[in-house]
Amino acid sequence: MPVHKNVYRKNFLLIIIFLVLISVTFVIALFVSYNLTAKYVENEFASKKIEVLEQTIKPYNDFFQNKVPEITSYQGFLDSASAAKYAASVFHDYAFVKKVIFYDVLIGSKTNITIRQNNLNISVKAIYQYWYQNDRVLGARQVEPADDSDFKDMAVKLSNYIAFSDTSRVSSQDELFKTYWDVKPDKISYTNILRREDIRIYRDMQQRNATAAYKQNMMTFYLDPYLLKVKNSHPELYQNVSIQPVVYDPIDSEGDKMITEASFPGAFSDYKLFFSSGQGYLANEINRRFMPIGAVVLLISLFLVLIGWLIYRNLNVNIKLFKLQYDFINNFTHEFKTPVSVIKIAGSNLRGDGELTERQRKHYGKILDEEADKLNDLMNKLLSFTQLENKSITLKKEEIDINDFVSRYTDTFKIKYPDFKLQCKVKGVRTFYADPVLLGSVFQNLIENAYKYSHPQKKELNINITQEKRNITFSFVDRGIGIPKHELNNIFKKFYRIENQYNQNGSVGLGLAFCKELVNFMDGEITVHSKVNEGSEFVVTLPYEN
Amino acid sequence: MLGRLKYILFIVFIVSLWSCKEKVRRIPITDFFKTPEKSSYRISPDGKYVSYLKPYKDKQNLFIQSLADGKERMATSFDDYSIRSDYFWTYNNQLVFSQEIIDLDRYKMYTIDLATFKIHNILDQEKVKVSMLNRNRQRPDVITIKMNKRDPANFDIYRLNIKTGELVPYLINPGNITEWFPDADGKIRLVKSSDGVNETILYRPDDKTPFKPIIENNFKNSVKPVAFTGVKNNFYALSNVNRDKTALVEINAEDGKEQKTILGCNKADILYVEYSKNKHRVEFAAWEEAKPHKHFLIPDIESMYHSLQERPELKGNEIRVVDRDSAENRLILNTYTDRNPGSYYLYENNTGKLTKLGDINSSLRPGELCAMQPIAYKARDGLLINGYLTLPLGKRRTNLPVVIMPHGGPWSRDSWGYDEQVQFLANRGYAVFQVNYRGSNGYGKAFRSAGFKQVGGKIQDDITDGVNWLINQKIANPKKIAIFGGGFGGFSALYGVSFHPELYNCAVVQYGLINFFTFIKDAPPFFKPYLKMMYEMVGNPETDADQLRAISPVFHTDKIKVPLIIFQGAKDQRANISELNQFVRELRKRNVDVKYFLKPNERTYFRSEHTRMEMYSEIEKFLDYNMRVKP
Repeated sequence: MPVHKNVYRKNFLLIIIFLVLISVTFVIALFVSYNLTAKYVENEFASKKIEVLEQTIKPYNDFFQNKVPEITSYQGFLDSASAAKYAASVFHDYAFVKKVIFYDVLIGSKTNITIRQNNLNISVKAIYQYWYQNDRVLGARQVEPADDSDFKDMAVKLSNYIAFSDTSRVSSQDELFKTYWDVKPDKISYTNILRREDIRIYRDMQQRNATAAYKQNMMTFYLDPYLLKVKNSHPELYQNVSIQPVVYDPIDSEGDKMITEASFPGAFSDYKLFFSSGQGYLANEINRRFMPIGAVVLLISLFLVLIGWLIYRNLNVNIKLFKLQYDFINNFTHEFKTPVSVIKIAGSNLRGDGELTERQRKHYGKILDEEADKLNDLMNKLLSFTQLENKSITLKKEEIDINDFVSRYTDTFKIKYPDFKLQCKVKGVRTFYADPVLLGSVFQNLIENAYKYSHPQKKELNINITQEKRNITFSFVDRGIGIPKHELNNIFKKFYRIENQYNQNGSVGLGLAFCKELVNFMDGEITVHSKVNEGSEFVVTLPYEN
Repeated sequence: MLGRLKYILFIVFIVSLWSCKEKVRRIPITDFFKTPEKSSYRISPDGKYVSYLKPYKDKQNLFIQSLADGKERMATSFDDYSIRSDYFWTYNNQLVFSQEIIDLDRYKMYTIDLATFKIHNILDQEKVKVSMLNRNRQRPDVITIKMNKRDPANFDIYRLNIKTGELVPYLINPGNITEWFPDADGKIRLVKSSDGVNETILYRPDDKTPFKPIIENNFKNSVKPVAFTGVKNNFYALSNVNRDKTALVEINAEDGKEQKTILGCNKADILYVEYSKNKHRVEFAAWEEAKPHKHFLIPDIESMYHSLQERPELKGNEIRVVDRDSAENRLILNTYTDRNPGSYYLYENNTGKLTKLGDINSSLRPGELCAMQPIAYKARDGLLINGYLTLPLGKRRTNLPVVIMPHGGPWSRDSWGYDEQVQFLANRGYAVFQVNYRGSNGYGKAFRSAGFKQVGGKIQDDITDGVNWLINQKIANPKKIAIFGGGFGGFSALYGVSFHPELYNCAVVQYGLINFFTFIKDAPPFFKPYLKMMYEMVGNPETDADQLRAISPVFHTDKIKVPLIIFQGAKDQRANISELNQFVRELRKRNVDVKYFLKPNERTYFRSEHTRMEMYSEIEKFLDYNMRVKP
């Protein structure tokens, strides 16, 4: 059976393992979270490009979905002047429109540029061009021969729609788009959407081979993708966003960079958004995002260590307490042992064979009586101390005449220790309220201590009692051995004894602790000033109640 | 015990709450907008039969009632296509009716034999439109019809023998004749030609002489021939040539000169005259001021109308003769008030017997409907504007929620009489305000031309002034004003909420006009005079482009903030659906609360009873939410 089994253990190995484990966990957590962050940032680099694309292409979508169809609302009545106004509003709102060509179209009549199909003439009366220069919209009529390829494509589609579309129902969005729109790289052509009534009239014209001049508008918008404003809504991810032709593929200089791309829709489909970021740029972003995560991991680890330390400290305190109690029992056993052995000797002597003289009998009786008193005293102290600690006694306050009260103790001690010089001065106060038993214990202990810890020739004690404002102060000044400075904090602790020649017997280190408990219990306080070999002053302050 | 007490208290509370409210029954929507049961009453020339149309398997079929024994009989049982409402009796008691086979674009005309109820098909043509022009007492088997068989764009006049089905051309249209005025013998001596705007009246003394123009007018003037007077070659006509308000005049057909003014009214245009073909006389002329007025030219007729109006069941009713027998003894009357959609009566002149044939809508009780009161106010420039105000039943006369209903057109008008939409809204507790803004018909030439080129201008100002007048009169609750209109009225509603957003709470738009370029596009470019009229009345899309753009709601989606409800039939030929869709999409993008109902199988007016009911229940919900629930 190992010897140390029931001893309190301090296992340093366990502590070390704990610390190592925490450190390892900390490191692993940092490593994993850094890697996850890096992965996340890389994923974002690949996915957030859609947002940038959407932001960048938004004006184009607005132009495509709202501004261009506005032409339909003019029902073909645009002329060069109103078309110029319309073009101006386009240039103003959509910087990527480079040039607008306006075709003043006639349905049902013939001019120099005429598409004749399905028995119907669709012709151009005039072509105007508008462009934007120095904040001004400039316009010019195109003189023949003008570029009419856009018009021809549209006219064929329009003619087919007039001739063959199903008028018994509303045309679907798709059919309308395929007829009235022509989206080619870098340009959009649009002609105003016809009502079913118009189709009916034109069909009628077709069948009757009639001529008339119904107005129709067509516009071709020339777009420049490089004039699109790139809106990098994620500058932390993309160091560089640029518009590049769809075939752009750098392999030489940008090798070490992260790159990704997103194609433009519709008329810009020949171009793409090209995103690139240097490795260091992304690393910065990873670090920026990792910082708070790392901090949290660190904080959690520190917290774990803190908790470990707190548990360790509590255990330590418990061990100390246990040791104190152990010492106390040791001391107490010693204290008990002395009177008990004296009683034992006296008892065995009394039982002895020889007749006892009167003097011997008295002597033994006195010894037995004194030692029993000592035991009783010890027991009382222990009992009342426990009671005080548990707050299981009650204060019994009564009016105390100070002079009477003090003289009772001084007289007793003068009788007990004839060499003890006791003096008492009372100033400005005669009576007050307190529990005489508890206060008496304080007096007894302090006077006893003063006698005990004094050199044989210097056994003196001055007691000064004064009233200060709402307090009453009891000052015990002796000329004893004094207390070293570093012990001052300990003397009121339970079971604490200063090791010296004066307390070899009859002391358990409870006296001052007991006093302090009593004074605190009476809502007062006790302080001490002391100098080694010169003496000590114990001051008890109690609230003054009259 | 306590539970029972609570229960009783609750009942008392509910009852007291109920009695506090004025009891106005909410008439179901179906009662307002259902298809009439019996319609198109006619009487046979001998006065022995009454015929009418009534739905059978959802299609209109012909029914005949014998007046001798009161027996009713279903004469036809078509379940594919309805019988057109323009059926008629011939002078020898034959019924002629027709059917349009819409899917095949075919027109069929039938006769029915009263004795055997046998049906004969006398005409079956593809891709034509036919209508009866005249029936002749001397030759009852031959009717005069117009038909566009030769040229889809032009009608020619034919004589059709209903016994044999023989079709003989009578007058070939040179290309511009639009109206024919047969005389008492069925001969056509007076015609009107039109280029769409300018009208010319032509005359020929007999069938052998060519027509020669006698009167030429532009679109600001009009002459409507009524009938030959029988004296020389004079004819009656309604004319506003050289006068502001249309009057009944007599014109010499030889030279087109006005002989005399028979009747003029200094307050309003004479809108129509009642002419008896049997007795060749004008019975009365009618016009509309605040309410319809008649001026009788024949004392007998006047006393007949007066005695009819004395009868308790017809007190306060407007009475019109719908049809009469040859002897002018038995008459079919149509009567109505502002609170009564109308009834048909048979009246026997010799006995004074009045028999009710049927109600147009028997589910409605006049006591539950609301009176339409004429009102007038001064516009900001001092012009007097007339309108009608229909207040809901109940004691409250002030601070009412109001629905403004500008009429369409804009060259038409609102008249006093029963209006199902108005009554529906009034029954739901709204005051309804109708306004004949400048440009409306019936108030003379000056008033009409005051509206030229004023769409979105003074026309709208008149509506706005009307709303302010209602507010100043304390009739309207200024926070609860809705605007509701169809066609041009829909434009007025959208324009109102765009440019006077503080005035209107919400808007209801039916087949709304959202773009004036579209409106003008309805004028074909080869109709030069029509274009000219359009440009003069509305605006020139090229020179006035800025103005038209400024007033067309489609360009101003940013200005609309109030909730809208829009109804549109997808088969409306004149609407640009993709434009309207774009308009709604744009509004929704701007967070405007738009309810949009695009009905795929409907045209301008919703024909299906189901969609009509749905529309009105949506309107009811929409108005209720925006005018009452919402703070």
